[in-house]
Amino acid sequence: MSEVRSARPAGTAAVDFEALRDVLASSFEVSVGRPRAVRRTALDTFDRRLGRAGHRLQLVAETGEARLELARGGETLVSVLAGPAPRWPAMAGALPDGAVKDHIARLAGIRALLVVDVHRRQVRRAELRNADGKIVVRLDVDEPAGGGAAPPVVTVRPLRGYQKEADRAWRLVTTLLEPATFQPVAPRAASLPVADPESPACALLAAELTGFLQEVRDNLPGTIADIDTEFLHDVRVAVRRTRSLLKLGRPALPPHVREAWEPQFKWLGDVTTPVRDLDVYQLGLPEMTGWLAAASAADLEPFEAHLARRRAADRRILLRALRGARLRRLIDDWAAELSTLARSADGAAWSAGALARANVTQAHRRVVRGGTSISDCSPPEDLHVLRKRCKELRYALEMFAPVLDDAEVGKAIKDLKGLQDVLGRFQDSEVQRTTLRGFAREMVADGAPAEALLAMGELMGRLHAEQQHARAEFATAFASYDRPASRRRMARLVGSDGKAAG
Amino acid sequence: VKVYATYNIKGGVGKTSTAVNLAYLAAASGRRALLWDLDPQGAATYLFRVKPRVKGGGHGLVSGKIQVDDAVKATDFDNLDLLPADFSYRNMDLELDDTKKRTRRLDQLLSVMAGDYDLAFLDCPPGISLVSENVLRAADVLLVPLVPATLSLRTYAQLTRFVADAPRPRPEVVAFFSMADRRKRLHREVIDAIPRDRGRIADTVIPSMALIEQMVERRAPIPAFAPTSRAAQCYEQLWAEVGDGA
Repeated sequence: MSEVRSARPAGTAAVDFEALRDVLASSFEVSVGRPRAVRRTALDTFDRRLGRAGHRLQLVAETGEARLELARGGETLVSVLAGPAPRWPAMAGALPDGAVKDHIARLAGIRALLVVDVHRRQVRRAELRNADGKIVVRLDVDEPAGGGAAPPVVTVRPLRGYQKEADRAWRLVTTLLEPATFQPVAPRAASLPVADPESPACALLAAELTGFLQEVRDNLPGTIADIDTEFLHDVRVAVRRTRSLLKLGRPALPPHVREAWEPQFKWLGDVTTPVRDLDVYQLGLPEMTGWLAAASAADLEPFEAHLARRRAADRRILLRALRGARLRRLIDDWAAELSTLARSADGAAWSAGALARANVTQAHRRVVRGGTSISDCSPPEDLHVLRKRCKELRYALEMFAPVLDDAEVGKAIKDLKGLQDVLGRFQDSEVQRTTLRGFAREMVADGAPAEALLAMGELMGRLHAEQQHARAEFATAFASYDRPASRRRMARLVGSDGKAAG
Repeated sequence: VKVYATYNIKGGVGKTSTAVNLAYLAAASGRRALLWDLDPQGAATYLFRVKPRVKGGGHGLVSGKIQVDDAVKATDFDNLDLLPADFSYRNMDLELDDTKKRTRRLDQLLSVMAGDYDLAFLDCPPGISLVSENVLRAADVLLVPLVPATLSLRTYAQLTRFVADAPRPRPEVVAFFSMADRRKRLHREVIDAIPRDRGRIADTVIPSMALIEQMVERRAPIPAFAPTSRAAQCYEQLWAEVGDGA
C-alpha cells in the first residue's frame, strides 16, 4: 500500500521551494508546474463520521476542474466531477458513482455531508521523473493563499508500483522539513470525566444537564433545516436523557425544578415525536420493501407517498414549535437555571456517589422485579413497562458513570444490552403494527389502491412474526441478564450492601 | 469491473493505439482504469514509459506465486494504471496450460483487482492461442480493429467463428476500421462491403494519420499530447460509441 506523507517547515516558516528542488534534483529529474489557486472545501457529517474513521474528504476546485479527494490511511481516492458539485449539505447518494461514493456512503450512512471548513490555497506541483522520463513521485507544495491561517504543507504522493522512489523522495524532503501527521478526529466523549463520588450531586447533575442542553442547541439548526434525520433524533435523545436525569435526580434537586421543568421537557419530547416516527418509517422502507413476498415494491409507492405527505404536514407543526417563543424561553431559562444549580451545589445533602448508588440500585431492582413477573401470558404492556425500566437503568448507569467504577459500568451496560435489544424489537414491532393500521385507515379514506393495502398487510404479517420471535427470546434474554454473575457485578457497583446512602 | 480487450488475429492493425487511447479517455472521465499489456513486445508499456518487467514474469502471475496487484504500475495519468508486459509472456500459453481451469486464469487474475478498477483494457498479442481463449472468457467487449483490406475481412471471419465456437459467456464483438485511408478505392470498397451480420461494426473509423504514429515518439496517448487533434477526436468518438456509457 502506498502511503501519502506530509511534511512542514519548522515553526511558521514558509517552504523554501528552491532548496527543496535542489535537494530532490540529486535523485530525480524535477519539473515544476505553475502555481494553481485551489479552493479546498472540507466535508464531513455533523458528527464527524469520516474524520473519526481516519478519513478526510475534500472538494478540490481549481480552474476548469473540480474533484473529490478522499484521503484514507495511506492512499487518496479521487473522483472527478463531470458536472456541477452537489449543493451542500448533500447525502452521499448525490456524489458521482465510483469508489469515493462507495466509501462515503458506507461511512456516512444516513447522515448528510456538510461543509466543515474552506481553505483557499496555492498549490505548486512538482513531478519527479526517473531516467526513462516516467513520473514516479508527485509532490505538492500547498500554501495558504493570501496569508490564511493553516500552515504550508508539502505532500509526497507515491505512484502505485514506485514506493522505493517515494521513500527516497521522502528521505530527501525530510532533510529540510519536519514530518506532519494527519490526526483523526477524536471521538466525542460519551460521558463526563471521572468525578469525586463525594462531590455534591447537584454539581454532577448540572454538568450532565448542561451537556444535554448543548446537544439540543447544536442539533436544532440542522433539525429546522431538515439536513438529515439524525439531527431531530439527537435532539430527542438529549431531551429524553434530560427527562430521565430530572427524574433520577429528584431527591437531590430543588423541588421547583421538578414542577417547572419536567412538564417543559415532556412538551418538547412530545412535539418532536410525530416527525421522528415518520422518519423511522421512511428510513426503514427500503428494508420493509425487501420483506414483500407476494406484493411488489411498486405496490408500496402509495404508502411512501402517504408517509411523505404526513411528514410534510407534521414538520410544519414541528417547525412552528421549534421556531416559537416557548422553545426560545425554555432554552434560555433552562440555561440560567442550570447555572444557578451549579453555583448552589455546595453544602447539598446528597453526594454524587450516594445518588448514583441509590438510583442504580432502585432501577436494577425494578428491572429484576419486572422481568421476573413476566410470563408467557403477560400482556404486551408489561413488556413495554419493562423496556422503560431497562432504559432508566441504562441512563442511570451512563449518567452516573463519572462517579462509579468505570470498568464495572461498561460490563453492566453490556449485560443489559441483550435484554434491551429483545424488548426493543418486541415493542418496535408492536408500535409499528399499530401505526401501520392507522396509516391504512387514513389511506382508505384517501382512496388508496387495494394493492397498497395488501402490501401493507404483508408488512403487518412480517412485523407480527418479528414480535413473536422477540417474545420467544425474552425468557432466555432475561435469564442471561439476571444470572448470578450479573447480580454480583451490580452488587459490586453499588456497594456490598446495595443500600443507598443519603 | 468491465473488461475491454483489443484483439485481432492479425498484427499491426492498431490494437495497442486503441487500447492506450481508450484507456486514457476512460480514466480522464473519472473511471478507474487498468490497462494490461499482454503482448510480450510491450508496446503499450513502452508508450507509458514503464519498464517492461514483471517480477516473477508470466509464470509468477499465472501460477499465483506473485500477487497480480503487486505488479501494477501507475501511469503518469490520474486513474490509469498499467500491468506491464514482460518478455516471458511469450510463454504464457505454456504457463496457462499448466493451470487448473486453464481458460479462466486471466479472468481469475482480473477479478482479484475488481475492487480497484471500474474498467480494464487488455491489449492482446495477435494470433489464436490459449491466451486468446482466456481473453474471450475474461472480456465483456472484444474491440477488433480492422485495416480495410481484403485479407482483414478473411481474418475477421476467422475471428468471429473463433468467438462463436468459444464456450459461454462470450464477449460482445465490436469491430471498427482502423488505419483507414478514404483516398484509397480499396479501403472505401472494403468498408462498404464488410458483412454486417457477423457482429457489430462501429460507425467510427480511425483514419491512418501521422499523429497516431507519433505516439511512439511522444510516448503518451494522443488526447494527452494533442487533445484537440482530429486523431484525438476520432478516439473520443470511438469511446463514445463503444464505451460503457454508450
